[in-house]
Amino acid sequence: MGRYPRWPIHFALIGAGIVMLVPFYWVLKTSVSGENIYAYPPSIVPRHIHPFFYIDVWYSIPFARYFLNSVAVSMIAVVCNVAFNALAGYALTHGFRGKNAVMLLFLSCMMVPFQATIIPAYLITGKLGLLDSWLGLALPQCSTIICIFVFKSSFDAVPRSLIDAARIDGLPEWRIIWHIMLPLSRSAIATNVILAFIWSWNNFLWPLIMTRSADMQTLPLGLARFLSYQEDTTGALYAFCIMVLAPGLVLFLMAQREFIQGLTSGATKG
Amino acid sequence: MLRPRTRQALLLWCFLAPSLAIFLLYRVIPVIWNLVLSFQYWSPLKAAEFAGWDHYEDLWFDDVFWQALWNTLIVIASAPIGIALALGLALLVNADIRGRNVYRTIIFLSYPLMTVAVAIIWRWMFDERVGLINYAARTFDLVDKPIPFLNSFTWALPSVIVANIWQMLGFYMIILLAGLQNVPRELHEAAAIDGAGAWHRFTRITLPLIRPSLFLAFVVGMLNSITSFDLVYVMTGGGPGRATEILVTYIYKLGFVQTKFDDAAAVTIVFFVLLISIAWAANRFTGGNAGAVETE
Amino acid sequence: MRRRSVVKAALAGATVLAAPAYLRAQSSKKLSILTWNIADQQELFKQEFADFKAANPGVEIEWLDKKGPDLPAFYQTQIVAGTPPDIVDLQGAIWVDYAANGGLVDLTPYLQKEPDVAKRFNADYLKGWVYQGKTYLLPFYVAKTLLYYNKTMFQEAGLAGPPQSFDELLGFSEKMAKAEKTGFLTLNFDWLYWPLFKMNGIELLSPDGKKAAFNTPQTADVLAKLAKATASGGVNKISWTGRWVEPNGAFAAGTVGMLHAHSSSYFFVKGQGPWINGQTLGAAQLPGYWSTPTNHGFAISKGSKNPDLAWKFITHVTSDKWASAFFKNRSVLTANLAADNAGLAEMEKTDPLAAAVLRTQIEHTDKLTGNWPLPYDAELKDAFWPEIQNAALGRKEPQKALADAERTVNRLLARKA
Repeated sequence: MGRYPRWPIHFALIGAGIVMLVPFYWVLKTSVSGENIYAYPPSIVPRHIHPFFYIDVWYSIPFARYFLNSVAVSMIAVVCNVAFNALAGYALTHGFRGKNAVMLLFLSCMMVPFQATIIPAYLITGKLGLLDSWLGLALPQCSTIICIFVFKSSFDAVPRSLIDAARIDGLPEWRIIWHIMLPLSRSAIATNVILAFIWSWNNFLWPLIMTRSADMQTLPLGLARFLSYQEDTTGALYAFCIMVLAPGLVLFLMAQREFIQGLTSGATKG
Repeated sequence: MLRPRTRQALLLWCFLAPSLAIFLLYRVIPVIWNLVLSFQYWSPLKAAEFAGWDHYEDLWFDDVFWQALWNTLIVIASAPIGIALALGLALLVNADIRGRNVYRTIIFLSYPLMTVAVAIIWRWMFDERVGLINYAARTFDLVDKPIPFLNSFTWALPSVIVANIWQMLGFYMIILLAGLQNVPRELHEAAAIDGAGAWHRFTRITLPLIRPSLFLAFVVGMLNSITSFDLVYVMTGGGPGRATEILVTYIYKLGFVQTKFDDAAAVTIVFFVLLISIAWAANRFTGGNAGAVETE
Repeated sequence: MRRRSVVKAALAGATVLAAPAYLRAQSSKKLSILTWNIADQQELFKQEFADFKAANPGVEIEWLDKKGPDLPAFYQTQIVAGTPPDIVDLQGAIWVDYAANGGLVDLTPYLQKEPDVAKRFNADYLKGWVYQGKTYLLPFYVAKTLLYYNKTMFQEAGLAGPPQSFDELLGFSEKMAKAEKTGFLTLNFDWLYWPLFKMNGIELLSPDGKKAAFNTPQTADVLAKLAKATASGGVNKISWTGRWVEPNGAFAAGTVGMLHAHSSSYFFVKGQGPWINGQTLGAAQLPGYWSTPTNHGFAISKGSKNPDLAWKFITHVTSDKWASAFFKNRSVLTANLAADNAGLAEMEKTDPLAAAVLRTQIEHTDKLTGNWPLPYDAELKDAFWPEIQNAALGRKEPQKALADAERTVNRLLARKA
């Protein structure tokens, strides 16, 4: 374990925490008090706290329907991500002809901004007959290169001896993945789940372009309702943002046990 | 009956297939579409005509393009700052202290927040008249006059970068945390027993073993100019003047505000080539193979 | 051959007749309409749609609404995919681009067939939707720039009323500028600042639109004066760098003497500034009565499958009855003469200040400027505006800024020729 003073660490982390929290605090404060953020001087403590903005959000937009759509799309995206990325990451831990080309392809695929792909992506989705559907909304995000590499580096760290032993025992590849690789890569899975969820949950431009019917829209699209400049609705706007934030945060809280480097994980890898 | 090697190769390609299919549809084909389009004159209502190098020539003489390119390079160069900060935080949060779950959550909190909310809040924080930062600076007598962060040609881009780093810290952190899980604790303990100091342990043990995560974090950081599209658009709209215009916002404006998709395609291709070059250089610098580590 | 087609026609006819009534109704006319950021008018639109459907049975209406920056992205993707909404609400000058490329239906034949429609609108506003002699949109709602002034600050500086000339405007600004207070602020997007130049007799382009015409000693003089006033605090710096929230917020804070903005600013500023009432806020025309309009209009997409039905719809929505309802709900001018006059008369009784602001919108509509029916308006803006910024903020000498702007603009125009 090593003995070293803990308090400098706490000090640094508290400092970092404050910096991270200050803007966030303001978002929260405005969402419960509706105070105009452009009032001067800025007030630290909110006056008149009330939850009406949250109720406002619920009724201003078809919140339940949008929420359902977002949940469906994100679930599809997360499940596909974990499955496809783990498989791809595993494949990349082996040497095979064309591996470098594939790695290069993956890396270069990241270098395309989504804004430049809107029109072809729309046309392709149209050709697949997936416009205005959950699968169509989820499809572009069903695999992400970053997460493939997270899996790859996690799988790379699994000692070769374990895999060789399994092969000698005659285990088929998918069993190796399922029984050996994945249990040792729980933090990679957690990372993948969190990131895939956040990316598909917060995605704004793609649902904007490819949904036409009002009941297929996802939660971020409801944002437009609160950004109308004629109304001073910053309270509702922030309440909306907090409500959109909540599920991702809950997921992170649930998954973050996987980020603990305990003695157990060290032992199995050793 | 296939030979075992070939069968294994086939199996590996099958594993790669779903991801490859999605990238083919939604990344590769759009890039090719952009490439072809950059050599044509086209608009959504007209048929295409061959344009040769005209669009690239136009870019060469386009002041806005060069300004956007320069700004993008600055944004990319700021990525290591965020990554270094996140690495520090990841190490601290990985240490065996009480409440690290809480710290971890607090640092991560900014990432799932919708970028529009981040942009609006930071735009307020940097506001010259009513912003929090100027208010604090004046309360603590740090400056005489309020600093026009987002209105100044010199401070606007750094302000956007600060907001971007704030938002991305949590993201870098979990990438690096996932990498830190791959460093066996016993190595540290053994080294400590042998008398190695903390810094020595960090540079000799931790750093090499998290190279893949660092590489990944750097690649993501490089793409932060892409991910900060919403941030720039809402915080400054590319202004004042073109002080915060980056290639991504320029691509969007060319395509959807000026309906010049063919010019936008040319900028996209230039941007793509730029990023590939930087990524390739980074890959070589970290030892090739996407920084992967040889185990055992 | 003939027998086969007769049989085919007979079969088709039989299937149509055999289909149950609800299926037949579903296969009849459907209209899709895309609006620009007016989701708050949901109730009103529901009523309008119901009214239209009652008069035209069997019609289905699909309503889409997108925020301003998102609408062009959405609309253009739909055009490429071949499924553009039948009717689209457009703001500013982006319609010219679509019209020039053949994306909008020419409404002139419809207007000729139904002359009453054109008569219901303010002729000047309707003229704003003409490109190369053809009308492409019907006015939906309009806003043009006016001069708001802070009566309290005017009194403190010993000024009797709004300025009557450009020099007076700058002079008044100087008088009111002290410490954090500034004299004049203008919005700058979509050519809203242009009346400042037009009132000094400056033209942007030559009459044939082929060359820049603004690089004159007169313009350099105006720019120099603006730069000097900006440096001394008479003209607020935010005029040249702000977008929407900042300039309006600054005026709402009560520290700016005059705001040059369009009528939509009134409601935002009033919401932010509790000091605003009839005694403290004045609404006037800019010296010379020039103003830049920011208008919304309804256009019909070329790819529409029911252009005639779409025409009926937009004449329905801009009719006296519904324009009046819209005026009442949104407190904005509709360019429909009957609706506006009646609405204003009502408003004088309930909210005289708002009425005063809106009254400026129907005055001097013959002096509209800053709207050039050019398909490359956005590029022209981008070529011209940064240099004005540079000069006004003192980063470049006015002569140099104008010369650079002229070069960029002429290069742009030469490419488009």
